[in-house]
Amino acid sequence: MHEGGIAQSIVEILAEVKEQNELSCITSVTLKVGKMSGVMIYALEFALEAIKCEEEFIKNTKFNIISVDVKAKCSLCGREYQFADTDEMNLLCPDCQMPLSIINGKELEIVDVEGK
Amino acid sequence: MKRIVVEKKILEKNDDIANQIRKTLDSNHIFGLNVMSSPGAGKTTLIERMVEIFKSKYKIAAIDGDLDTQRDAQRIAALGIETVQINTSGACHLDSSMVYKALNDITLDLDLLIIENVGNLVCPASFYLGTHKNVVLISTPEGDDKVKKYPTMFNVADVVLINKTDIAQFVKFDVEKVENEIKELNPHALIYKISALKNDGLEPFLSWVESNIVSVKNQ
Ligand SMILES: Nc1nc2c(ncn2[C@@H]2O[C@H](COP(=O)(O)OP(=O)(O)OP(=O)(O)O)[C@@H](O)[C@H]2O)c(=O)[nH]1
Ligand SMILES: [Mg+2]
Ligand SMILES: [Zn+2]
Repeated sequence: MHEGGIAQSIVEILAEVKEQNELSCITSVTLKVGKMSGVMIYALEFALEAIKCEEEFIKNTKFNIISVDVKAKCSLCGREYQFADTDEMNLLCPDCQMPLSIINGKELEIVDVEGK
Repeated sequence: MKRIVVEKKILEKNDDIANQIRKTLDSNHIFGLNVMSSPGAGKTTLIERMVEIFKSKYKIAAIDGDLDTQRDAQRIAALGIETVQINTSGACHLDSSMVYKALNDITLDLDLLIIENVGNLVCPASFYLGTHKNVVLISTPEGDDKVKKYPTMFNVADVVLINKTDIAQFVKFDVEKVENEIKELNPHALIYKISALKNDGLEPFLSWVESNIVSVKNQ
């Protein structure tokens, strides 16, 4: 499980945001995690809960994690396909037999932060 | 209360270091290959085959990631190429800073750098290491249901090697089903069926490697 390392990277970025914006604590954080990012949301939540106790400025932070479905587009016909479940995922356009390009679903990012 | 728009990639630091590695590889005309699979799918065996074939023709080094022990690095070093073992001490994947450090211990007068990642079908897929290409192995005893369980890994592969075909019949592995599922997750991937142990079916893969070595050399 690499979610511990991911949580560590999140806290490092949050510490920078805190410094740059002269915050004393962070109250909430919004994260985007794509279904093709390789990160399991429940494992990340678990890792974030564990790491919260180690740093004063995130002790009471609420982490909102947005799960992003995989969305892909055919470059030939322009149709977009959305897959909620990787079992159903097929990255070949059923009409054109062209490989689709992924436009969403690989996200692993910090969207915004609230603090005081 | 203040709201701050951050919009930052969580793994940005890893990507930055990986991009530096890529620059080092490019400026030295070294083809970098990241080899990934679950534990025991045959990464080291495959690398041994590659080294045996290419070492008289090309200068090769290997970086070997494992949770513990020097065993894999010893196997590869026994073939007479420079090998650095990285023990990740608990981390289930290599990240770019580990590879960056290991590169300091390697003479960069090379044609091919092979990185054997930690045996794991999940985590290594999220960490770009600056290599030019990714090879993912899936071996028949793992079962033919694995591809869709690990979509990220199969999606980042440039080549998927279906290994241990010599024993496919004993473990009820449906090769065609696996090939179709790989194509669904990654229409661009090249798929080759091999037995690394029996040295069977490796030619198309080896010529793919060689054409990459040559194209990076002439860049
Ligand atoms: N039958 C068969 N066995 C193989 C084949 N390739 C590798 N093996 C065996 O599978 C076992 C594991 O092979 P390794 O090359 O060590 O696998 P690995 O992926 O490097 O393993 P880790 O680094 O520990 O994750 C060894 O006993 C190999 O001999 C193959 O094509 N057929
Ligand atoms: Mg190995
Ligand atoms: Zn189409």
